[in-house]
Amino acid sequence: MQRHAVRSKASPDQNAPVVSGSGVGKTFASGTVIALEDAGFSVPKGRFNSLVGPSGCGKSTLLRLISGLIEPTSGSLQVHGEEVTKPRQDVAMMFQRATLLEWRTAIENVLLPSEIGGRVTSEDRTRAMELLKLVGLGDFAFSFPAQLSGGMQQRVALARLLQTGADVLLLDEPFGALDEFTRERLNVELLRIVTEIEATTIFVTHNIAEAIFLADEVYVMTPRPGRIAKIIDVPFDRPRELSIQTSPEFNHLVEEARDILGAH
Amino acid sequence: MAEATASLGPSASGGLYLRTRRWLTHAAIFGTLILAWEIGTRTELLDPLFYPAPSKIITSFWRIYVTQGNIWKHLYVSIGLVLAGFAAGSILGITLGSLVGLNPLVRRFIKPYVIVLEATPRIAVAPLLIAALGFGAQSKIAIIMLVCFFAPFINTLSGVVNVNEEKLELFKSLGASKMQILKKLVLPEAVPVIMAGERLALTAALSGVLVAEFIQRDQGIGALILTYTRNLNMASAFACIFTLTIIGFAIFKGMELMDRYIAFWSHEDGMTRVSQNRNVRWAKQGWAR
Repeated sequence: MQRHAVRSKASPDQNAPVVSGSGVGKTFASGTVIALEDAGFSVPKGRFNSLVGPSGCGKSTLLRLISGLIEPTSGSLQVHGEEVTKPRQDVAMMFQRATLLEWRTAIENVLLPSEIGGRVTSEDRTRAMELLKLVGLGDFAFSFPAQLSGGMQQRVALARLLQTGADVLLLDEPFGALDEFTRERLNVELLRIVTEIEATTIFVTHNIAEAIFLADEVYVMTPRPGRIAKIIDVPFDRPRELSIQTSPEFNHLVEEARDILGAH
Repeated sequence: MAEATASLGPSASGGLYLRTRRWLTHAAIFGTLILAWEIGTRTELLDPLFYPAPSKIITSFWRIYVTQGNIWKHLYVSIGLVLAGFAAGSILGITLGSLVGLNPLVRRFIKPYVIVLEATPRIAVAPLLIAALGFGAQSKIAIIMLVCFFAPFINTLSGVVNVNEEKLELFKSLGASKMQILKKLVLPEAVPVIMAGERLALTAALSGVLVAEFIQRDQGIGALILTYTRNLNMASAFACIFTLTIIGFAIFKGMELMDRYIAFWSHEDGMTRVSQNRNVRWAKQGWAR
């Protein structure tokens, strides 16, 4: 297990999946729209998985199913061995937009999960401040969202995600609304942070290169009906440099994913 | 809900020279208008009975405020009614608006009534209110309440209903209770639009008090205007009208100031101020940096 620094550090039960599903399906509305069909997967601790595919392939649906925001119409979905029926404390989600509360300063936004969980302790505050520093916003703790750039707002959202203390992180195109340069930089930071805290991460994107750059495993998804068409293993060590994107091996993986998506 | 006056011209920016020149132009235009009016009435081009000369209006101002001082008690009465009716109307509007907004079932069934209410001129009900409540302050307050209820009601309703879907999902994914969602998301998010409704309501309240006092001519600025007009003392009537102009402007400015404090996050200076306060508070508590 030299390939993945994270996996080699994992606890003894490293082979037990943190998130798993079998035959997971979701049908919306009148039963006419099959958003997701027969999804089977298993994510071990500390693993970073990407879901990639065009709109309507069910990637966001799968993420929301894992988060417990919606319930599957068929199949079984488990987190830490327990059936998912509602949102869990150990699972946290981040969205494409920062969804910060405009009337709260950055630090107060980061503290929101603690507030909802109960009384805010001084440890919560210390942690929130550390997380803001971790995402490079130590000097902006008392700024309001409207005073921050789009990239900075997403960093606050990232800090808020980490403040939950969840070990399963679900990210729905978190940097999709940002410019290319900011997105790449934030991706590198995200990978560093989740590696450090050994979080199990599932990342939704429609960008093939981004999916491969970040993940240990890429689920390539196709639409009508939404399904996992192929699971691609990504053999790069973490931490990763942006430069791996120019390697022949990386490009080969991109080709592979594109072939599957192009066939549809 | 931008104010109409805001779109009338470019904002007061530019260098000192430009600003001075602009003000001088304004003063010159204003002075010319007043002078034309004065000359018009003196030469009887304008009927001095209905269009009293500006100099006469100024004299009247002096008289009703200083030498006679009879406007004060009417001012107190009218302003008191405006505040009482505004408070009652907006409390009712905000409360009903949130109750209706938060309950999908109620919302569905109340919609036709809202449409009917919106189409009916509220002021038409004023005589009925007087018939029901009798002459006196209570029916005047009821009239004002009626005219300023609607804007806070409809704005609160739409503010509560149009809660951001993604933020709602965030709260749900964090396991927030219904009460937490209401207190930490729905209500704060509705504050700016509720404040816009309040602004409209206060302006409506000023018209409401006049109507109420035109109907019941016992006291208040509205009654005073009626009395002066009937006695053909137009200069004093004009002085009352300009007093209302000043009050209207003060209300506008006052609400703007309140908005800066309550919905501070929609204003750059508001954010800067609160940001500093929170920073200081955090430091005082000795919390981690």
